[in-house]
Amino acid sequence: MTDVIVIGSGLAGLVAAIRLGRAGKTVTLISKGLGGLQLSQGTVDVLGYAPDRVTDPVAASAKMPRSHPYSVLGADAVREGVTYLQDLLKEHLVGDPGRNVLLPTAVGALRPTCLVPPTMAAGIVTGGIRYALVGVRQLKDFYPELCAANLARQTAPDGGSISARAITLDLPAVPDMADSTALAYARAMDDPAYRQKVASLLKAQLTDGEVVGLPAILGYRDTTAHRHLEELLGHPVFEIPLPPPGVPGMRLNEALVGEAKKAGVRFVSGAKAVGVVTEGDRVVSVGQATAGRIRQYEAAAFVYAPGGFESGALSMDSYGTVTDTVFGLPLHGLGDNLVTADSPADQALFRVGVGVDPSMRVVDTAGHITYRNLYAAGGILAGAIRWTEKSGEGIALASAVTAADSILKGA
Amino acid sequence: MKSLDVDVVVIGGGSTGAGVVRDVAMRGYKAVLVDRVDLAQGTSGRFHGLLHSGGRYVVSDPNSARECAEENEILTRIQASCIETTGGLFVTGPDDDPEFGDKFLKGASENGVPATEITVAEALRREPRLNPGMKRAVSVIDGSVDGWQLVWTAAQSAMEYGAKVLTYHKVTRIERDGDTVSAVICHDAKTGEEVRIGCHFILNCAGAWAGQIAAMAGCHDVEVVPGRGIMIAMNHRLVNTVVNRLIYPSDGDIIVPVHTVCVIGTTDVKAPDPDNLPIPRDEVQQMFDAGEVLIPGFRKARAVHAWSGARPLVKDSRVGAGDTRHMSRGMSVLDHSERDGLKGLLTISGGKLTTYRLMAEHIVNDMEEQLGTKHPCSTADEACPGGATDGTAHTYHVTHRLHDREQDRMHDQILCECELLSRRMFTDKLAELPSGSLDDLRRQLRLGMGPCQGGFCTMRAAGVAHEVGAVDTERATGLLRLFLKNRWLGLWPILYGDQVRQTALDNWIFSGTLDVEHLPEGAEVV
Repeated sequence: MTDVIVIGSGLAGLVAAIRLGRAGKTVTLISKGLGGLQLSQGTVDVLGYAPDRVTDPVAASAKMPRSHPYSVLGADAVREGVTYLQDLLKEHLVGDPGRNVLLPTAVGALRPTCLVPPTMAAGIVTGGIRYALVGVRQLKDFYPELCAANLARQTAPDGGSISARAITLDLPAVPDMADSTALAYARAMDDPAYRQKVASLLKAQLTDGEVVGLPAILGYRDTTAHRHLEELLGHPVFEIPLPPPGVPGMRLNEALVGEAKKAGVRFVSGAKAVGVVTEGDRVVSVGQATAGRIRQYEAAAFVYAPGGFESGALSMDSYGTVTDTVFGLPLHGLGDNLVTADSPADQALFRVGVGVDPSMRVVDTAGHITYRNLYAAGGILAGAIRWTEKSGEGIALASAVTAADSILKGA
Repeated sequence: MKSLDVDVVVIGGGSTGAGVVRDVAMRGYKAVLVDRVDLAQGTSGRFHGLLHSGGRYVVSDPNSARECAEENEILTRIQASCIETTGGLFVTGPDDDPEFGDKFLKGASENGVPATEITVAEALRREPRLNPGMKRAVSVIDGSVDGWQLVWTAAQSAMEYGAKVLTYHKVTRIERDGDTVSAVICHDAKTGEEVRIGCHFILNCAGAWAGQIAAMAGCHDVEVVPGRGIMIAMNHRLVNTVVNRLIYPSDGDIIVPVHTVCVIGTTDVKAPDPDNLPIPRDEVQQMFDAGEVLIPGFRKARAVHAWSGARPLVKDSRVGAGDTRHMSRGMSVLDHSERDGLKGLLTISGGKLTTYRLMAEHIVNDMEEQLGTKHPCSTADEACPGGATDGTAHTYHVTHRLHDREQDRMHDQILCECELLSRRMFTDKLAELPSGSLDDLRRQLRLGMGPCQGGFCTMRAAGVAHEVGAVDTERATGLLRLFLKNRWLGLWPILYGDQVRQTALDNWIFSGTLDVEHLPEGAEVV
């Protein structure tokens, strides 16, 4: 028996577990996979579009519609969550919770986000910036010509111009391999000699004042890789996130798992949570499908942070019935026409999720608490389309911190 | 206005038009084929991929059964690379009438359709996912066929005989000189130019759109009634053999393994407009229910894409029901010189993809009869690219690409992991189709047709096309967006289960990480 069981090892689950562990609770984190952070771009998105581009995400979070998680959480919780992560990972994130910045994406869009890894900070767009974008022939997930040309079609938020040009290197990650992943490159970049090689191919091609953008491959374990490359080139260098798996997200995950272990969190991963034992209005234990049997984990409180449809926590069957696959909790946002011919990113289906009260306890559609000791956080929450809003990390952090604090206060 | 002169204009780049232009060119006529979009983008690319053994028709339509059996054998030789010799099974479901099997076996033997009854145990050994409650099973020689490749290789063969193939050329006008056709005027959608094609004869092979074409020549009331059918592709081959239900032809009675997927089809509903073919929810449910009868647990498998096609059936108000000459062989040929007093125009409709070559032979014979000329048809005696008349060419096998990638994996990249498509395959095809959209390339390469539905390959395809200079930045960005939009059209009607999860991941990629929706718009609409 532990004090708290956390279900899910994405950003919400890890942060809730750390906050509870640091406050002296015994915490067991159970998860099916390795956590969604590893698929992420490694930035902390709080609120990028609502639906126009947002400059102060904390302030804008206070103005969301009632159905949105931010409306339940409140702007203070948003600020507290983001600040908590920033304090936790001082070396890993820079920025101001009250101010968005724009970073180039791999196709050359300008994407609003809030906190960014130091390896991306030099890429924040400002008027007059001159990008030199560097691709590698053997890495198929970044096309510097397309990225540069799209960037050059836009202007910075201050109205200033953006110039961008492309450079392509011919440099395998593994000798003689024409097709290597970003992770293979990041591992190669852990070796200082490989960075020397990159710099020697690149340096002569750069002109004064250029900011050098590379795909997000600047070291997997070696956190000095970025700084080292900047020194070798004598130019500011930044990373551009690629489609998953995302190396910057993996680095964040690594750091957070380290913090969780330091806080005494026990990890039980590799098997799905498969239902609960309840007694009246309390959850007694959660089952996990381990080898050969279902093992029950008892706790006084439970934080449910399994993610949304992307993780499989929410699912829709061939008859169109949507369910929460672990607890079968009542879902909010159901209705007809959940999926339509409109843009795939903006479907009502993806707003379906679990409803919560201000303490993050799960409530049914009438607003009644389902179980007094069950709290939800992150992507399972109803009311947000996190990818279009660019709100995923903000919702995860604000809800994780609020859920943890509710447990600590004995709510 | 650009202008050219030919003997024959073939309108419509589906299987009928491709077969006809090949036949016409092989008989020595100077010919051109025009289509308003890409080849096989209409009905011929929107079916389940079945190459009939004839089994499906042995009871309902013995003539068609015999023709299918003969044509199956011919196409498997002359267009081997488009065809997979999967074999087929007809199985009696738990609630189906077992006596239909007797009619079936009798019809098969009378019409030269090879068919052998096998035990249920043997059928389950061949296809372990089949319903163990089935009562009878008959083995036939059904195959699967890639409609796009079938049409393209026939068109290539025609080009070797001097025919021109003009895709994205929409017919806007048909000119006549007295009582004879004289020219077809097209709008070239890629350049915006008008093209005048002078000719002596027009073969209207526009399928579901044939009525619209005939009207341009002043021949009205050619009523085409498109029969809409939906198809659903599942994310892998639940069966490796074509599986048919051993009943009178009905909805959802066929599952065809084709390339990396298997396709269940189909329905048959009158559609008023061939350009607007919905995929209704109730028909999707009907397919899943039908799938459950053949393969228990079908609903738990993952559907990756759905589409809707229009079978063209001509109902001609001016031909009496007793006029069987024009309604035989599952197709109809309207002779507008008899019907409307306009010489040099035949309108063809109906028919089926498996017998497309034979249909073309009949149509071109009819044309020559009107012209008073006669040349032998040699389309069955010469191979298209990828085939051989003596049967020595290799038929398609689903592991071909895996074999190829094992050869080149060290020096080439895989752009689409689902379909094992290499960068080289993509750039080669791009060089052939410099103005092609990603969907044009998809139809020939299967780009984005696997489980991730473009999640990982779309940006790569746009990036490579831009990098090699085939498209400018605005067009690359527009092509990327258009491809995602078009994939969604076939995804949303069947979205459930793991494909929802995939869609969420794809949304994280394109919206969350790449922010594609906020890229600046281009000046031109792609």
